[in-house]
Amino acid sequence: MTQPLLELEGLTKSFGAVQALRGISFSIGKGEVIALLGDNGAGKSTLVKIISGGLEPSSGRMRFEGQEFRPRSPSEAKAAGIETVYQDLSLCTNIDVVGNFFMGRELTRKVLGVPVLDEATMERQTAEALAAAGTRIPSLRTKVEHLSGGQRQAIELNRFVHWGGKLVLLDEPFAALGVEQTRRGLQMIRQVAAQGIGVVIITHIMQQAFQVADRMVVIRQGVVAGDISRHQTNADAVIGMITGETLTGSGPALGAGS
Amino acid sequence: MPPRQRQALEFVLDNLVWFMLLVVLGIFSAVIPNYFQAGIFANIVEQSSVLGVMSIGLALVIIAGHMDLSVESVAALSAMVTSMLFASSGIGLGIVLTPGWLVVPVSLGAGLLVGGVIGALNGFLVIKVKMNAFIVTLASFIWVRGLVVALSGGRSAQNLADEVRWLGIQRVLGIPLTAYIAILCFVGFSFTLAKTRFGRHLLMIGGNQAAAFRAGIKVDKVLMIAFVLSGAIAALAGWLLAIRTSGATANLGSGMLFNAFAAVVIGGVSLKGGVGSLPGVYAGVLLLSAINTAINLMGLPAHYTQVIHGLLVLAAVLLDTLKQTIRKQLA
Repeated sequence: MTQPLLELEGLTKSFGAVQALRGISFSIGKGEVIALLGDNGAGKSTLVKIISGGLEPSSGRMRFEGQEFRPRSPSEAKAAGIETVYQDLSLCTNIDVVGNFFMGRELTRKVLGVPVLDEATMERQTAEALAAAGTRIPSLRTKVEHLSGGQRQAIELNRFVHWGGKLVLLDEPFAALGVEQTRRGLQMIRQVAAQGIGVVIITHIMQQAFQVADRMVVIRQGVVAGDISRHQTNADAVIGMITGETLTGSGPALGAGS
Repeated sequence: MPPRQRQALEFVLDNLVWFMLLVVLGIFSAVIPNYFQAGIFANIVEQSSVLGVMSIGLALVIIAGHMDLSVESVAALSAMVTSMLFASSGIGLGIVLTPGWLVVPVSLGAGLLVGGVIGALNGFLVIKVKMNAFIVTLASFIWVRGLVVALSGGRSAQNLADEVRWLGIQRVLGIPLTAYIAILCFVGFSFTLAKTRFGRHLLMIGGNQAAAFRAGIKVDKVLMIAFVLSGAIAALAGWLLAIRTSGATANLGSGMLFNAFAAVVIGGVSLKGGVGSLPGVYAGVLLLSAINTAINLMGLPAHYTQVIHGLLVLAAVLLDTLKQTIRKQLA
């Protein structure tokens, strides 16, 4: 981890008198998977919204690839390469895999001066991208509604990577998936990270966090209560940090506000 | 299931309404005397033109996940405006242009303008003011028809200029030119829906508007175009109707809305949006015409047409559910 992908410095966010974030500082490296943990109301979703441009911080700074980063809308964040992948909000299930892969970026070729969808090229590029990521989908002309939850997630993530994504935020990505699909999903996240992409996953399931993440970042009452490598901690210690029972073992980089 | 058999089954499911049309035509030809002749089939195509064109606009808006109940009234207004300007009897002003053929583009332009403006108004209220499309276009359905009655004072305009009438009289292969205009519309808009970015975006918005928006598709713009197109296409249908009846009456085309809906649903367009193709809709329109013609030939009272249309819509929706079940098992 030479230069961090995204650095957060003393981020705060107030809604009127309520301080949701009270100074969050941590960083995410290229190819690093971070599990963002915390109880309900700890400030996880506020933080994710700030990173992905849905909210603006009250104070504090973000640096993305070494540059000052202050997105004012999700589309600005997306243009920079940061995106939240929400389930059910990213795919049109009535359209086939190729159509979804190229959603909003359809390729056309001129036939008698009229721009016509270039299905053959789009299908070839989709097949290449999915093959490179090791995702197998029987027919790229199948409508997404006929695919499993895991396959849908694979399409979303591969699409994100293919179009130059650099940091992906996943909010409870396995909430609706079965055991086998979750296992494959976790595998895919490792594959995505292996291509140099930063991944932040929000989850409540400690086992998943330990299976996939390089580091655990625990948010509690709007500050970073723990930022620690997976190898230096265990599930009980992390749960202690989430609930606030233990203060020991909470790692080196404490948030600025605490 | 072997892939080839599966592909064949998918093909049948995708084009089910065409198979239904063939079966129905086959049965009628075998059972009803005098049904199987070129003239009858030409007549079916001819009868389908006005309803067919109207169904295109309706289908586009429904595929985008919205609704346009105003198409029938817009068609009537377009027919009335065209007739009042260029018909010579009744309340028609009988405007004469030189050269005479100019009346064709000018009357069409006037109709399209009227339809486009009403479509834009519907679109504005639905997209910008965020009112419910059903209510907005229901209101338009009522007030536009009211406008037709008010403009005409309940009277009619007859004797449309000969140059326009020619389109309805001149036949090629036994079918009037107006029917070719309808077929051309189907070809053009089928292509637009299936092969262009606009068509693809329309389907995506109908399927998942939030996802389309997040993918950077200009949802508002695409929807606005759909509403304006629906209005303009309905106006084109009205113009064709005026040509066919050589003028317009205040209640011209009333009841067509429900036939258009029936055609769209029978043609395989889902009212939930995101599903459907225009060739299917054309087959739906032809199917309705084929049945109307059969009822006429058998000498049944015309009221039965409505009963049969209603049952047909029910059958179409049932069939759609069945198709979904089969597809689920295929996947």
